[in-house]
Amino acid sequence: MKHSYVTALILIGVIAAIAIGSQLLGIRLYDRISTNLLISLVLVVGLQTFMGNSGLLSFAHIGFMGLGAYTSAVLTIPSQMKGMALPDLYGFMKVVEISPLLALFAAGALAAVVAAVISYPLMRLSDAASVITSFALLVVLYTVMNNWSAFTNGPRTLFGLPKTTDMPVAAIVASIVVVVALVFKESRTGKLLRASREDEVAAAALGADIPQLRWRAFILAAFIAGIGGALWGHFITSFAPKAFYLKETFLIITMLVIGGANTVTGAVAGTILITFAYEALRGTEGALNATSFGAGQVVGLTEIVLALAMIAVMIVRPGGLFPNREIGHILTRTRRKKEIVA
Amino acid sequence: MAQAGILAEALIGHSGRPQGRPHHLGKVMSETRLAVNAVSVEFTGLRALDHVSLSLATGEVVGLIGPNGSGKTTLINAITGQVKLASGTITAGSTTLSGLSPREVALAGVSRSFQIVRLFNTMTVFENVEAAALAKGASRTIAAQRTQNLLDELGLAAKADELGENLSYGDKRRVEIARALAAEPLFLLLDEPAAGMNDAETEALLHTLAELPGKRGLGLLIIDHDMGLIMRLCHRLHVLASGRTIAEGDAAHVRSHPAVIEAYLGKGAAHA
Repeated sequence: MKHSYVTALILIGVIAAIAIGSQLLGIRLYDRISTNLLISLVLVVGLQTFMGNSGLLSFAHIGFMGLGAYTSAVLTIPSQMKGMALPDLYGFMKVVEISPLLALFAAGALAAVVAAVISYPLMRLSDAASVITSFALLVVLYTVMNNWSAFTNGPRTLFGLPKTTDMPVAAIVASIVVVVALVFKESRTGKLLRASREDEVAAAALGADIPQLRWRAFILAAFIAGIGGALWGHFITSFAPKAFYLKETFLIITMLVIGGANTVTGAVAGTILITFAYEALRGTEGALNATSFGAGQVVGLTEIVLALAMIAVMIVRPGGLFPNREIGHILTRTRRKKEIVA
Repeated sequence: MAQAGILAEALIGHSGRPQGRPHHLGKVMSETRLAVNAVSVEFTGLRALDHVSLSLATGEVVGLIGPNGSGKTTLINAITGQVKLASGTITAGSTTLSGLSPREVALAGVSRSFQIVRLFNTMTVFENVEAAALAKGASRTIAAQRTQNLLDELGLAAKADELGENLSYGDKRRVEIARALAAEPLFLLLDEPAAGMNDAETEALLHTLAELPGKRGLGLLIIDHDMGLIMRLCHRLHVLASGRTIAEGDAAHVRSHPAVIEAYLGKGAAHA
């Protein structure tokens, strides 16, 4: 139990270091990258609460992020702008304009409610069936966002969100989400869910209600994804449904899997590592294209290298960088071992 | 043939009363009975269990023995809801278990271990045991306390922080037993708890198991091929062969039963 506090302190320390470090550097590009990193952190840690504890791969997470982003957008775009930004919006909603903080919770709540309603029957599925249905769920959410013009402006870009997300806000939300994920992991539901991840038959034989446990985790994950979506929406201020689809899904899953899905530490480590790798690769790609080296343009270097990195991690270290112990647990253990030796 | 040898050794080697007779049985406040009535199980045409009846009271240790493939594990799976019954009923006290899911059977007070160990590999020993208490609805504090007591009792306290997958085979078995006990069951069904243990470990296990019915007032059903262990531990034996009950009763009775000798040693051995 004590090591969970150590883990929380270390992870929040890392988040603070990123926030303060980029603030000190004072370069706008770094500020942008770091804020993006912290928002990704919210999404990846959110995904960890379901995927890490249940052991089920979920593709639908980004769909709930989109839901949150649009919910917050509809609730916060100033009413005088709504006529332009969302011409088809329902009349009664045109006058609604609430504070971004409230909208953040509303975004999480709506994503959670939608997840609760549609996912209950899916939670009985395991293995391939559950992966395929979660993928289908992503496609459904994407299609709805693309076609529900009244709420999302259809496939066109939605603009006019107030820019309320900055580095400190992202850092605070990310810290809270990390604590929530750690608390959930050590909760009754979290422990039994992890037991079911390791052995469904044995967990059921102990009396664990596995679909119920998975359902709770899925709702929590959707809640966090919704909040992450709202956070991102108020950072980027204009977006279209295609921002919530395969490329982003692949990116957050890569982050989680490379870091280690079973631990919150892994989710944080993976997000940081992949964000920096992603930016470095994009920079390299840009530099290569600028020098017009070789015959043509270099395209897709970033994606290919990340995909190869994921394959390599799966082969060398299938559990990711932090496969089963949180950082606080690792540190308290080594210290105890040293004390025993001494 | 190895099994027959073990039985033969047990037949000669262990005589007299088994240790740990249920002297306390009289003072158990309310004796509950796990009753298996004429249960049959079929796997696509193969009859794995054929009208098997068995009874196990709290405070009692019953050994379930029989050659490989005789249906011992299937019987445990049938009781715990892992396989469906073709016919028959199973009750624990006034609760009907037949037709319930494994989860519901567990909540009704029947815990089990598995023939092939099924630990939660990437969770710590502590968490493995704790999960069982939590699943039964114990509060976080009580679950943690109960887990600590069980780990102390079974000599696993030093390994509390190890991951399930890093344990030796014998330790894994003991964690599985601790996990089953953390649910505070009325009936505990152990499927080959001593398999893979060395002699010293088996001896320690024997002492732990022998104390359970008296200390915890539970009924213990145990499958094992170690006839020495079975004979010393069990008050009664139930012998299965090809899915049928061929004998039941105390060790002396079963040992001299012609059908048992035939099942283990082959036809004609009973008359030799």
